[in-house]
Amino acid sequence: MRLFIQRLFRRPLTMLGLLLVAIHFGIALAAPWLTPHDPLKLLDAPLEQPTGVYWLGTDELGRDFFSRLLLGGQISIVAAACAGLIAAFGGGIIGLATAYHRGLFDDVVSRFVEMKLSIPSILLVSLFVTGFGQSLAVLIGVMGLIYMMGVIRTARAQGILIMEQGYVKAAKLRGESASAIILREMLPNIADLLTVEFALRTSSALLLVSALSFLGLGVSPPTPDWGSMIQSGLQSIRSEPWLILAPALCISTLVIGINFATEGVADLLGLEAARGATGQ
Amino acid sequence: MLIAALRRVLLSVITLVMLAVFIFIATEIMPGDALDVSLSADEIAMIPPERLAKMKQDLGLDRPAHERLLAFLNGAITLDFGKTLISKTPVSAIIGYPLRNSLILAGAVLLIAIPLALAIGIAAAFWKGRAVDHLVSTGSIIGYSIPEFVIGTILVMLFAVAWPIFPATITASTRDPALTLLASSPLAVATVLIGSIAYLARLLRTGMVDALASDFVERLRLTGIPEWRIVFLHALPAAVVPSLTALALYAASLVSGIVVVELVFAYPGLGQELVRGVTRREVHVVQAIALCSAAVVVALNLLADLAILMLDPRTRRA
Amino acid sequence: MSIVNRRDLLQGGAGVALLAALDASLLGEAVAQEQPKRGGTLAYAQLSANRRSAGPNNSKHPYFIVDANTKQIWSTPTWVNPELGLELEIATKLEPADDSLKVWDMTLREGVMFHDMTEMTAADAVASFDYHRQNAPFARQITKVEQTGKYTVRFTLEAGNAEFGYVLAEYNSPIMKAAPLETIGLDGIGTGAFKIVQSDPNRLMILERFESYWRKGLPHLDRIEIHNREGQQESALNGLRSGQFDAVMNIDGRAALQFQNDPNFEIETARGGYSFVIQMPKHPGSPFLDKRVRQAFAYAIDREAIVRVAYSGRFGWIGNDSHLMVTDAAFVPRAGGRDVAKAKQLLAEAGHPNGINLGTLYWSPQLPEAGRYFQVLQQSVKDAGITLAIEERPNDGYIQFRTGDNDLSKGNFHKFAMTAVGSRNPGISLFRMRAAFVESGHWRGPEHDKYLALYNQAMITPDAAKRKAIYAEMQAILHEEVPAILPAGGNTLMVKRKHMRNMPYHPQIWSIRYEEIWRA
Repeated sequence: MRLFIQRLFRRPLTMLGLLLVAIHFGIALAAPWLTPHDPLKLLDAPLEQPTGVYWLGTDELGRDFFSRLLLGGQISIVAAACAGLIAAFGGGIIGLATAYHRGLFDDVVSRFVEMKLSIPSILLVSLFVTGFGQSLAVLIGVMGLIYMMGVIRTARAQGILIMEQGYVKAAKLRGESASAIILREMLPNIADLLTVEFALRTSSALLLVSALSFLGLGVSPPTPDWGSMIQSGLQSIRSEPWLILAPALCISTLVIGINFATEGVADLLGLEAARGATGQ
Repeated sequence: MLIAALRRVLLSVITLVMLAVFIFIATEIMPGDALDVSLSADEIAMIPPERLAKMKQDLGLDRPAHERLLAFLNGAITLDFGKTLISKTPVSAIIGYPLRNSLILAGAVLLIAIPLALAIGIAAAFWKGRAVDHLVSTGSIIGYSIPEFVIGTILVMLFAVAWPIFPATITASTRDPALTLLASSPLAVATVLIGSIAYLARLLRTGMVDALASDFVERLRLTGIPEWRIVFLHALPAAVVPSLTALALYAASLVSGIVVVELVFAYPGLGQELVRGVTRREVHVVQAIALCSAAVVVALNLLADLAILMLDPRTRRA
Repeated sequence: MSIVNRRDLLQGGAGVALLAALDASLLGEAVAQEQPKRGGTLAYAQLSANRRSAGPNNSKHPYFIVDANTKQIWSTPTWVNPELGLELEIATKLEPADDSLKVWDMTLREGVMFHDMTEMTAADAVASFDYHRQNAPFARQITKVEQTGKYTVRFTLEAGNAEFGYVLAEYNSPIMKAAPLETIGLDGIGTGAFKIVQSDPNRLMILERFESYWRKGLPHLDRIEIHNREGQQESALNGLRSGQFDAVMNIDGRAALQFQNDPNFEIETARGGYSFVIQMPKHPGSPFLDKRVRQAFAYAIDREAIVRVAYSGRFGWIGNDSHLMVTDAAFVPRAGGRDVAKAKQLLAEAGHPNGINLGTLYWSPQLPEAGRYFQVLQQSVKDAGITLAIEERPNDGYIQFRTGDNDLSKGNFHKFAMTAVGSRNPGISLFRMRAAFVESGHWRGPEHDKYLALYNQAMITPDAAKRKAIYAEMQAILHEEVPAILPAGGNTLMVKRKHMRNMPYHPQIWSIRYEEIWRA
């Protein structure tokens, strides 16, 4: 472990990534105490220039922009992390199960995975938003489902390798049930992989949530969100460009941070995170 | 080989049918139906039952689900996706040209992105561990970590507002010829390109690094073949084959990216129709767009599979 | 050159200095003496939209394109000038047959050609108004329209109407080529100054000069390109800056402030352009059935905040819950301002001591400020314990979505929703609160009957001052009953490049005479 940390310190980009992630998560957690003003309250004037009171001025409705910026990642991060968690856990278990059982079950799941991967994620979400209405639960569920597909693929490939290992064979000989073997023997062995998958899927989900908010299909106003803040900031692209640049910087540094950190960590763990895993 | 190819085609057709079934189930059978999404719950509660039945009948919702599914599949084959709920316009008439336009944009991006990504990927792999490689690796992570709408907005700020050399918004008509459309959308193309090149260059770099480190390349080096021949004639094809599978996955994300970019630049493609469809709860339009884009992705997957079959003899036995 | 006294239309307060300065530069000596030129193209982006649903099948029909473009392609019998006075257009005469003001005779101009070079006659007018009276809200009062000669037409109305001429100037009153009801207007052939050469539904319309237009001796551009950018003001303004557009119509106050000091652009304004009406459904079970809930809602809205945020203060005004614009001589302000305590008290009396949830208020980006307008409204009524969700719907198809069926027994009720309301004469504006029209939320009851009786009395009162007194009485009923809410409105604003000349704004954007615009 000490060696791992030492090697980590020798990778400046990975450290930068971890730092960015730590800052963003810290802000998102502490935001309710950090915000100087109520992010929903309409102050006197819209589009005030930055002052000592309103550090980044006010937005188009006259709300404190700095407070909204601090809170703007909260919903996206929670939604993306939940989706990442569902994807990593669900995908890990299903992937291992297909590796364990093979046969028809494997064929059916693989076909389903391939099919789901063929629908561009934004369209899949749109489909469900049209059918179920626009809500955070729907969003998290659909994203979890989307990113689960990729995880199933990776976990299945890893599971097939694990199946050849002595301890799995031993457990089988002891007569343990399939679910016990999958959950107790195999799952802990791909924990590293799933952690990396969780991080990658969370970063993809973040991009997706912000794009959806930008299109008006994600987090609905008046809840502050970076994607929708950029959308409304477009109105003053010339006069108050920071209304776009600040949330753009936030979302970009967060995703870049996650990807830098994940790549470095995966590399040190000897996992091939880079190949084709990001993407959707 | 022919049999292997036919098997791939058949699998793609099965995938497509499953997709159609899935799309249908997701939007029409699950809790709500086309009526629920165009009326709110409290409105439905107040509508007299006989009137509700009549409305369902008008929309064809009174028929059993499997019958409607068959009608939907049948329609999908003949490109008849039904009519919109509000204006009763045929859905195919609404999405025809936008689909073409999105394909034009995607095609243009691929044509530019693939050769550029190849060059960058090869260079990075060739000089692995050197400054170029680090630059490419870091740059590509940054490139695909920034949302498309942010890149697009920043390009507009720079090259259409601060330094106005390109049009900020696309004024071409939906039915304009491909070249007119593309000529009016340089910033839109550039926006999608940045993410695409970042993603593809990284993919190809990894493939090339593996190929250059492989045993057969080592053996070729020992025979004294010039390095450039090894890179371009031997390692490159070996690197491209595994990348092709991932390329198809990328096609799906390309479509997602294009949807967003179209909205930023008012490009007359599927993205505009999609958002219009979702906000109007026009189920049939969203279904048709999802199915068409998925079909494009499946087709690209098939092409990639077939290309792998041709390039890599080992897969032909499958 | 222009009959418009622009100064009269400018608003008071701080805006005057800014706009007077713009005025001075525009009407400087050199410019004023410049000779109007013929030809050239005007490409503009349109941000306002009041559309049915433009699909490939109906995109050339006068009802299915943005209302602001209708009169470029079609002509109407009468025209409303920028002072909201009535003038004859392709009618040469319009008179009531008797004192009941129920029967009106119209004579059409002779020799007016359609774009396909056939002559317009009374038969076309009869066929057109037969369609309008069944489809347009204000023309429904026409019960019969008949041809009385080659160029003469007789209208018979439900009840007398001294201001009937204004109905004939509506954007939903164009004269189309005679055809059966199912197909009339779909060919897009009109008698207007420009003819359609390309129509890209929802996106773009390209028009070219119609050489045989009935008004002669005008500058008359070669070509007009109308780019629809509803809900996308930023994209339109970027296009304006990069030279793709010559003008952007219906910008909001915030955009106007951005352009005010830029020497390449001019801002044109007309006061009292638009406001928004919130229609409140009054079907069984609706909270809006209770008058006190409606009153509480009206008291809770922070109208001043709306003016400040949505109209940048100086470009807006506070509405009085009638369809009248602040510029109208008959406009009577609502007594008392915002009163949160009173709103709470009214809610408590109505049985909602802990506040009330009013459900979802739908809005559409008919004007660029709409999003901010309704977000402020939503936030401000919270203070009185009123919660409501707001949800956006696209313009395309919004009318059908919002209005549902008039017939309550059909069950497809109209929505709790907003829509934009333009400047009209009081006769049309106050008529919009009748039970038979969706914007009143189908308001019924003895007070409504009294309102309508007053309206009918006003419509047969030829004396303008007496009419104004009746209008004031009608507004008092609205302030007490609150059938619908019109919280605030704003001026119409346009930004254009300096080379577009003689393009003043009009409080009714659909009444701009595009054939008089020229390009330097």
